[in-house]
Amino acid sequence: MGRIVGIDLGTTNSLVAYLDAPTGQPKCIPGPSGSTLCPSIVSLDADGSIIVGEPARRRLLTQPERTIYSVKRLMGRGPADVQSEVKLFPFRIDPASNHVIRVQLGDKVFTPPEISSFILRELKNWAEAYFGETVDRAVITVPAYFNDAQRQATKDAGKLAGLEVLRLVNEPTAAALAYGLHQKQRGKVAVYDLGGGTFDISVLKLISTSEGDIYQVLSTNGDTHLGGDDIDNLLQAFVHEQILQTDQIDFSPHGELAQELRKELIALKHKLSEVESVTLRFPLPNGKVFVHEFTRGAVDTLIATVVDRTIVPVKQALLDANLKPTEMDEVVLVGGTTRTPLIRRTVQEFFDRKPHTELNPDEVVALGAAVQANILDRGVTNMLLLDVTPLSLGIETYGGAVAKVIPRNSTIPASAQELYTTGVDNQTGIDIHVLQGERELAKDCRSLARFTLRIAPVPAGLPRIEVKFLIDANGILQVSAKDIRTGEQHTIEVQPSYGLNDNDIERMLEESIEYAEQDFAERQVIEARTEAESILTATAKALANPNASTLTAPECTKIDAKVAALREAVKGSDYKLVRRQIDELNQATEHLAEVLMNSALQTALEGKKLAEV
Amino acid sequence: MSTSLPITNPPLVCWNCHERAVGTHFCPGCGKVLQLPQQSDYFAMFEMPRKLWVEMGSLEQKFLQLSWKLHPDNFVNATPEERDISLKRSSELNDAYRTLRDPVARVEYLLAIEEARKEGTTRQQAPPELLEEVFELNESLDELREARASGGDTASLMQRLEAAEKNFETKLNEVDSQLQTVAREWDKAIDGKSDQSTRKAVMSKLNELLNRRSYVRNLVVNVQKELL
Repeated sequence: MGRIVGIDLGTTNSLVAYLDAPTGQPKCIPGPSGSTLCPSIVSLDADGSIIVGEPARRRLLTQPERTIYSVKRLMGRGPADVQSEVKLFPFRIDPASNHVIRVQLGDKVFTPPEISSFILRELKNWAEAYFGETVDRAVITVPAYFNDAQRQATKDAGKLAGLEVLRLVNEPTAAALAYGLHQKQRGKVAVYDLGGGTFDISVLKLISTSEGDIYQVLSTNGDTHLGGDDIDNLLQAFVHEQILQTDQIDFSPHGELAQELRKELIALKHKLSEVESVTLRFPLPNGKVFVHEFTRGAVDTLIATVVDRTIVPVKQALLDANLKPTEMDEVVLVGGTTRTPLIRRTVQEFFDRKPHTELNPDEVVALGAAVQANILDRGVTNMLLLDVTPLSLGIETYGGAVAKVIPRNSTIPASAQELYTTGVDNQTGIDIHVLQGERELAKDCRSLARFTLRIAPVPAGLPRIEVKFLIDANGILQVSAKDIRTGEQHTIEVQPSYGLNDNDIERMLEESIEYAEQDFAERQVIEARTEAESILTATAKALANPNASTLTAPECTKIDAKVAALREAVKGSDYKLVRRQIDELNQATEHLAEVLMNSALQTALEGKKLAEV
Repeated sequence: MSTSLPITNPPLVCWNCHERAVGTHFCPGCGKVLQLPQQSDYFAMFEMPRKLWVEMGSLEQKFLQLSWKLHPDNFVNATPEERDISLKRSSELNDAYRTLRDPVARVEYLLAIEEARKEGTTRQQAPPELLEEVFELNESLDELREARASGGDTASLMQRLEAAEKNFETKLNEVDSQLQTVAREWDKAIDGKSDQSTRKAVMSKLNELLNRRSYVRNLVVNVQKELL
């Protein structure tokens, strides 16, 4: 079995973290650029290869029609759900999309779980390069307010990336875990999590018991389509309107110009968290430059609607937990968008308490995911997470009404049984429609699945079928049915209303091999060889240094032997051997490095003395 | 954990070691988590008698204790069979806690397992002593909807409805306190080992109160919807 990691699959950025055993603290893993943030951007190259992260971000400007960002907003959604927001995206939705959205990138189409799997695969690669070991299991975070379809889509993405998803953890809960470990907090905690595209509020109780700490979520609420993206959209729409009036230039949202402007505005938004005003200078195609001074106050007014929209779910969550804002012991801010001063101020005023911001709001969710990954890997030892389902589960009844069978904020796993029988003689099937949501009519709730209970033709009222609805610890629904009279288990084929079925996934898994990078071992060999080359070059250079002559003959012989052994290892493809030889050469040259360091230091000090004279 | 409480589960055979297992949650023989017994009920799960007064602190403590042991987090590396049992057990535990900590849901559940819950037709019918007030309320609601449709004055109607809402909320509180009183009668009947007919009489009272409660609650919810 390989390593286990925690992954924050974010709207804007994604991160991967692990629990560092010696310190007991979670840590984010950096990518090749040294940054722990992997922009959640995927681009399809003309040669068919997939580009992820920072390099894909650069292509957003040069090849916007081949590049996609914020794919998380499309996860588990139907084409009709996203009509309004696709207008602002540079990429196009395949018109042939039915129950699953298909995104057109160049000449290919991908589903949102496939695109997310490319991001997950990239993070998996980062972690494997970091550990020098395979990574095959992960805990992935999702917005607490994600519904069943959105969760299932995330799980599918993990599977497509070659990861066994041990658990989906709610983002605010993960953040609470990270903070709890960091500061040993107790009592009632509110986590306000405003990310790039989603908003969550969770109310938790941290309980110390003799066995250890329990993180019990009391209630959660949110909006899966509310975040920093909306602030960017407001800024963009504002500038588009200004430019349309002054210069009669109409921006096509799909164009490169719009993407260039968006990039500038995002940078401007970030700067405004530090300073009071920033001036935008944006060159227009007509040769003029659009100049506008954005003050923090004016932008606050512009984005007030976004901030206000977060307060409604906050109030609902507190109501459901039967708590008042002032009863919270701690308030925690999570998500990059909470760096906005207006949001910090609003939250502080609402709870009448200074919120915690000690942990990096971009990293805290991934860190918490790593903590949970460690718990699952080792079995519960001294920490336990009890989360809830964010939405009520219901069954459509006569007349299109919904009967709630599992209320929202029920601790998961949760279940409910319903007994069904037939209404007419020889009826062979009962149609069941499962929904999620708080509204009373089926048409206003989210359709999760439909299925038909198959029944042998007998007189009406005789069959007794017990259907069990179970929401597992990931917040994902499982349905099973049992014939009470015979005790027989019924098999149920559930067709998800929005999502991939098993055949889709099977086919995509086959296709994903096409896009997969070189396999793990191959990449390890290449990386180990590169490192070997650089250490061999450095050793040769050091030995040529005049100060190296102070080394003893046995020392030189030992180094020569290790150099020869490493050269030999590099010829083969055993990356572990290469790594071992690198380590041995490093050991053998320890004294040499010390000698050179000392002489360099001496030269530096002598130089200083000279300068002082 | 009190040892004097009766373990109401029938004995069952451990799926793992095939010994006759008498534990509530774990096999005393091999320590494996046990399958849900056929006649399990929420009270038995918490090793409590079927009484309606529940000490919330100890209920929560017991819930947390059992969560440590039954939660699927403990079984990630276990066999698929054990994982499945843990999922079912912990969902049942959560369902039980959700039901028992809510005083009304607790009564409903007790009546259900005692097979004494009858929602029947009384649910839809107004209790006689409420008839007049319900009639007035429905009239006010109709008038409000009409006034809204025709753009007429709604202020005075809203006031009337707000008063009615308060009135029915008071009634709801009354029903809840009556429910508590009868719940104590039930506990006494259990403690005093009263005969079946006494118990049946108490259950029938509880059933009536539940129906009345659900009727009044529906009224309150309907008015609240119009007032929003």
